[in-house]
Amino acid sequence: MKEKMKAFIRKLTWTYNPATEREASDATARNFLLHWFPAKVTTKSASISYSLALGIIIMTEFTILTVTGLILMFLYVPSVERAYWSIKDLQFAVSYGWFIRDLHRLAAQLMVATVFLHMVRVFLTGAYKYSEKVVGSYRPLNWWIGLALLLSTMMLSYTGYLLPWDQLALWAITIGDNIALSAPVVGKLVSKLLIGGTIIDQNTLIRWYVAHVFFLPVILFLLIMWHMWRIRKDGGMAGVEALGIERVTQGKVVSKGKTYSLMGIVTGITPTITQYRVRGSSGSSSPYLTRRILAIFILVTAVTMGLTFLVKAPLEQPASLMWTPNPAKAPWYFLWLQELVADTTVRFGSFTISGGFVGGIVIPSLLLLLAVVWPLLDKSPDEAIGVWFHKARRLQNTVFLFICVVIVVLIYVGAVMRGPYWHIYMPWQSWPKMPTRL
Amino acid sequence: MADNNKEGRDIQTQISRRRFLSYLSGLFIAGGFLLQGFAALKSLFPRVLYEPPTKFKVGMPSDFPEGVRFLPEHRLFIIRNDDRFHCISAICTHLGCTVNLAQYSPPKEYESHSGTAVSETYEFHCPCHGSKYRENGNVYAGPAPKPLPWYRMYTAPDGQMVVDTNTHVDHDFRLKV
Repeated sequence: MKEKMKAFIRKLTWTYNPATEREASDATARNFLLHWFPAKVTTKSASISYSLALGIIIMTEFTILTVTGLILMFLYVPSVERAYWSIKDLQFAVSYGWFIRDLHRLAAQLMVATVFLHMVRVFLTGAYKYSEKVVGSYRPLNWWIGLALLLSTMMLSYTGYLLPWDQLALWAITIGDNIALSAPVVGKLVSKLLIGGTIIDQNTLIRWYVAHVFFLPVILFLLIMWHMWRIRKDGGMAGVEALGIERVTQGKVVSKGKTYSLMGIVTGITPTITQYRVRGSSGSSSPYLTRRILAIFILVTAVTMGLTFLVKAPLEQPASLMWTPNPAKAPWYFLWLQELVADTTVRFGSFTISGGFVGGIVIPSLLLLLAVVWPLLDKSPDEAIGVWFHKARRLQNTVFLFICVVIVVLIYVGAVMRGPYWHIYMPWQSWPKMPTRL
Repeated sequence: MADNNKEGRDIQTQISRRRFLSYLSGLFIAGGFLLQGFAALKSLFPRVLYEPPTKFKVGMPSDFPEGVRFLPEHRLFIIRNDDRFHCISAICTHLGCTVNLAQYSPPKEYESHSGTAVSETYEFHCPCHGSKYRENGNVYAGPAPKPLPWYRMYTAPDGQMVVDTNTHVDHDFRLKV
């Protein structure tokens, strides 16, 4: 009986703990969850010092967000009369409601940050570059999918920001809506579509709720699948180009015990198979890659859960258009934009262009456009693919890092140094007391 | 030569019945999806809005003290100067935050564009991005691109004052009661 039980457990788990090389390569083909991995991964692809495991961290946060988000959907009511009070209940009355909410918010913030870092990693290693060496590979496409993922992640985070229907939410959305309004020609139309009227009300809340819990997660999920599939089509993570391919056997007669996909065999010809493998050391995806993923998954989950005890989700007073908190700030990942909209109003005599349009639409669009065309402009050699800070890309990396640093500095200024009436206050200066209610 | 050309054209312009029908059905299917997409998108632009009216009564003239008074529920300021009233929006023209009233006592002195000394007892300051407006709603600091609009006012038959936020008026507008 004990033997039978053991055999049964082995049958369920052997794909994660294969006994032989043969079993290891079978595992990825037979296990539904593992089939998106290649049978073997190069040491470089699995190396944490190369990829920093940022993709796995993002997936972990996304998993946490999906699970906590589903629970929150049972507890949250998307109506202007009850939304705020359902969050208040969640915070103070529902058992462990505060924990689920904090975890959801924190995972969202970490996900935005990690997606950004992931983009920085891919750029600095030149992993978006096209190379002719791998057949069917076109890495720029995956960079563009990545940009779409970045935008979807930010939109998910921003739509979630409105749902508590408190002052913080309302004024962040008011600013966002007015940025849309400042666009010439289409501004009014886009704003009407976004908020479902002319003032932020029930129409806005239900729209953003549906986008937050259905449309954006589905878009994100589909994009993630495409992103992963492209990595396989591109021949694995960047850097395999440098390793090259070597021939193991040539013209080996097909053995009987193995299944091959053979099309159009002609009588009188003996089918042969030539084997190739990627040069350099590699290991089976199961268990080498799966174990790493599991370890990182557990670690990231534990850290995120631990952080919820330190970082609390804020809840301000119920949303009211009658007065604006002073200062009113966007979520941190949009603070660089808020800083820009506050500084970029241009005046030519009596002619004025609102900073909302320049800083809120023109500059971010230009940055996005730059990111889109960059892989096409990058003419560095193939050796620079998958290498941190390759010397052929020194200038590119400097320009990219400069833009990143400017964004981070703007976020810092917006988050820490802007006090009441958006005045600059040094960290050692105290802010004047402002009324917190009407 | 000419015959050849003619023949070639004949082959190109002739479409088999099967091909024609498949094009036609493709067109209908695409059209059907387009119409559905259009209907779905159009439904998101509301034809009826249950929003507060843009014309509303704000009270009897006697309810208002001399000077400026903020009406938070309507996001506007009513300014009384003896028997004359005017109304300025409290919605910042930059990105739509509600501006705050900053009152000065003694009055604040400043030099206007024409060089004459002016004094004012109040200003409007936006908490979001630091735009500052003069007494009359003109911007003098910050990112706001336009002055605060003035709303039209009139008296209802029952004697109450009405504000019409859809109609903007010039700075010489006053409601005399």
